[in-house]
Amino acid sequence: MSVAENRVATDKPSFFGYLVEFDNVDSLIHAAEKVRDAGYTNWDAHTPFPVHGMDRAMGIRYTKLPLVILGGGLTGLGGALLMQWWMNAVNYPYIISGKPFWSIPANIPVMFELTVLFSALTTVFGMLAFNKLPQWRHGVFSSARFARATDDRFFISVEATDPKFDAKKTADFLAGLGGSEVEALED
Amino acid sequence: MPDRRCTERSEKQESMSRFIFPKWLDAIRPLLLLILAGGPAYLIAMGYYGMWPSTRTKGYMPKQPVPYSHAIHVGKLGMDCRYCHTTVEKSSHASIPPTATCMNCHQAIRPDSPKLLPVRESYASGEAVEWLKVHNLPDFVYFNHSAHVTRGIGCVSCHGRVDKMEEVWQEAPISMGWCLDCHRAPEKHLRPVEFVTTMDWAPGEDQITLGKRLREENNINPSTDCSTCHR
Amino acid sequence: MSENRDVQLELGRTPLVIGGRDFHAVTEMVSSVVERRKWPIGWYIAFTISAGGLGLLGAMIGWLFYKGVGVWGVNNPVGWGYAIINFVFWVGIGHAGTLISAILYLFRQRWRTSINRFAEAMTIFAVICALVFPGIHVGRPWLAWWLFPLPYPQNMWPNFRSPLLWDVFAVGTYFTVSLLFWYVGLIPDIATIRDRATTKIRRVLYGFFALGWRGSHRHWHRYEVAYMILAALATPLVLSVHSVVSFDFATSQLPGWHTTIFPPYFVAGAIFSGFAMVLTLMIPCRTIFGMQDLVTMRHLENMCRILLATGMMVGYAYSIEFFIAWYGGNPYERFAFINRAFGPYAWGYWTMVSCNVLSPQIFWFRWARRNIGVMFVISIFVNIGMWFERFVIVVSSLSRDFLPAAWAYYRPTWVDIATFVGSFGLFMTLFLLFIRFLPMMAMAEIKGVMPEAHPHHGPDPAERRGTDLGGPTLQPAGALGRGREQ
Repeated sequence: MSVAENRVATDKPSFFGYLVEFDNVDSLIHAAEKVRDAGYTNWDAHTPFPVHGMDRAMGIRYTKLPLVILGGGLTGLGGALLMQWWMNAVNYPYIISGKPFWSIPANIPVMFELTVLFSALTTVFGMLAFNKLPQWRHGVFSSARFARATDDRFFISVEATDPKFDAKKTADFLAGLGGSEVEALED
Repeated sequence: MPDRRCTERSEKQESMSRFIFPKWLDAIRPLLLLILAGGPAYLIAMGYYGMWPSTRTKGYMPKQPVPYSHAIHVGKLGMDCRYCHTTVEKSSHASIPPTATCMNCHQAIRPDSPKLLPVRESYASGEAVEWLKVHNLPDFVYFNHSAHVTRGIGCVSCHGRVDKMEEVWQEAPISMGWCLDCHRAPEKHLRPVEFVTTMDWAPGEDQITLGKRLREENNINPSTDCSTCHR
Repeated sequence: MSENRDVQLELGRTPLVIGGRDFHAVTEMVSSVVERRKWPIGWYIAFTISAGGLGLLGAMIGWLFYKGVGVWGVNNPVGWGYAIINFVFWVGIGHAGTLISAILYLFRQRWRTSINRFAEAMTIFAVICALVFPGIHVGRPWLAWWLFPLPYPQNMWPNFRSPLLWDVFAVGTYFTVSLLFWYVGLIPDIATIRDRATTKIRRVLYGFFALGWRGSHRHWHRYEVAYMILAALATPLVLSVHSVVSFDFATSQLPGWHTTIFPPYFVAGAIFSGFAMVLTLMIPCRTIFGMQDLVTMRHLENMCRILLATGMMVGYAYSIEFFIAWYGGNPYERFAFINRAFGPYAWGYWTMVSCNVLSPQIFWFRWARRNIGVMFVISIFVNIGMWFERFVIVVSSLSRDFLPAAWAYYRPTWVDIATFVGSFGLFMTLFLLFIRFLPMMAMAEIKGVMPEAHPHHGPDPAERRGTDLGGPTLQPAGALGRGREQ
């Protein structure tokens, strides 16, 4: 706690928040439920793999990403249809093998492929955008032991920007969650 | 379960700065995104611009062996194109005039001009003046001047205002797309046949209306099959 | 492959990670490969040979561009030779990667986790090899961009009624989606390597490509949704790709090509050849890098079963082609197939049948499915057999077409053969770089299927069972799954 209190005392703008470490999934989930119930909003759990049941424990609402992807897919579908119609039936109509200029069956493969392509691009870039990634610099990286968040340890971080955040009270609250000692983060 | 090796690693890492990236890197994320997305787009656009025929071939103006000025002969003196390019109405090629054509006048006019020295030499020796071809189509393209001129496509439509050119340059890109533009909609360029060589002719009415009428009257339906030009 | 298998697994079948490994041990085992200071001399030897192959490919392409397609053996009537054979061969190899990463993911086959990264990498490299061939076969390669619907100075557009153009879109999309899927899967693992890095340059490079991943659960939530949707997109995509490739043949009018069975037949063959290639690569890697606890005998046995199943599918397709040739009553079709089995290319046909249909039959025996040596040899046989399948389809049909006066025997030139050999150099070079610089197993996913990853908490046991039975919840596979929560 000593480190944390030092930071509290100075409370410089570089102060980012608190970090607390857990060594198994169960204690992380219990702790997350308590943080959620305490009414914090600007906090996060950090795990080396997606932990089953954390969405509920953290109170995360299901993402809107699928809707955006649907939009991307429909753009691909409609774009492919329009493109083939305009290019082969309007702008450059050309007789080949006696095929009609415009027929849906011949256009289905490209429509399908572009639907998938646009959906996939929307999926990946949408996911990154919703996650605000890439974000190479983040306060949690100021902790040395945070390196194990991608290995075998579980963390909860609470940011100082949270409306319920109070340097002293939050530190005490986090210390009571059953994890390691509370570490102050800077940025 | 602190593994010994892991602890060592942490200590090693402790000695380095804990942040890998400086703070400004996140601040310039939008700029980075712009470079990553806009950079390739810019390069592609530049590639396109550079490769497009209008960039590559338009404005081609080789140095001719004789400083012959179309501006003087056509613009100022009012000579007709067909005085020199005699076969333009009958043949696929418009023909470059022989030296004799020049000498028709230049035996009397400015017979001593130093600019005309190559012409006089050519006349004396019988060797042709080596004019350089400006409008050079690829070998796989078949083009017929007479087919165009006798149906009312003016010289100016493809060659530009030659009567204002001191030295001739290539005015049109002469790309396939440019050819097809007109073959798909010839009414944009059709004129009465008697005016094909008139450089400053202007339609008395709307060009499209006139063009459509001329198309109708003369039954002009240019083909866009591959074999029209690639024979 | 019933979905109940996972439940049985939970109830005491061979676990997917053995040897009493914990999370850190998984990280250690996979990352330590990438973090080696000294690489075994074998890697350098293999890399030198592969890079030589890559150089050969470059030289052959250069020679082709310099001299023109005349350096290849293609001529009338066999106008499609090694280029299309190799293209179909390599695209087919790629299919197993997507099958393992996407289809097995959707079917909640958790055993895929330790081989999927490997297989996805193989997909990408195989598709790169495949893409080389259409790029260089066009005769005027500097105009290869005409394949795409871009504005040309000619004011023309590609012909969307041609299966060759569908191919451009199918393979292009397939490559892009595979690459995205692979990279998305890699992000958390690159972050692991970043966090373990001990040199500045590694931290910066891996840090850059990890995009600042910090294992945030809010990120994981969207990540998993995105991953599942990518899998759902890749599944029909992979089936479409080889179907479209088969359209190149099936929509023509040549006997031996003009058959409706081609799309499923090609897809089955693609998966078959791809799994064979996964085994060929996986068996040596697993031994060299000591991954026996992650890629267990059970993984290999499952792959052998898939080989057996898909091998019989292609065997069925071969026989049904003959049946239809007879039953359809078309004399040209009938001739094409008699010619295929007993004509000048009978040697190719019977090589194909013995490698593809007969050799995997040994996997009916359990001892064969659990014997590394047998597996390796059979997987090589299958690779050979599947290349011959494409050779037989392309060459035997073309060499004796409708005009007997034009019949001729196709022989590849040395350039054809060297280009094909060189494409293996490209593939192996990329692969060796991959195992050297990127984690070859999906650490985060392996951790997710370990027993310690399951919280013993709340209504989980019931929920988990529901997931494993593949209930109608919007959840990704197994332990990675979570409900629609508020």
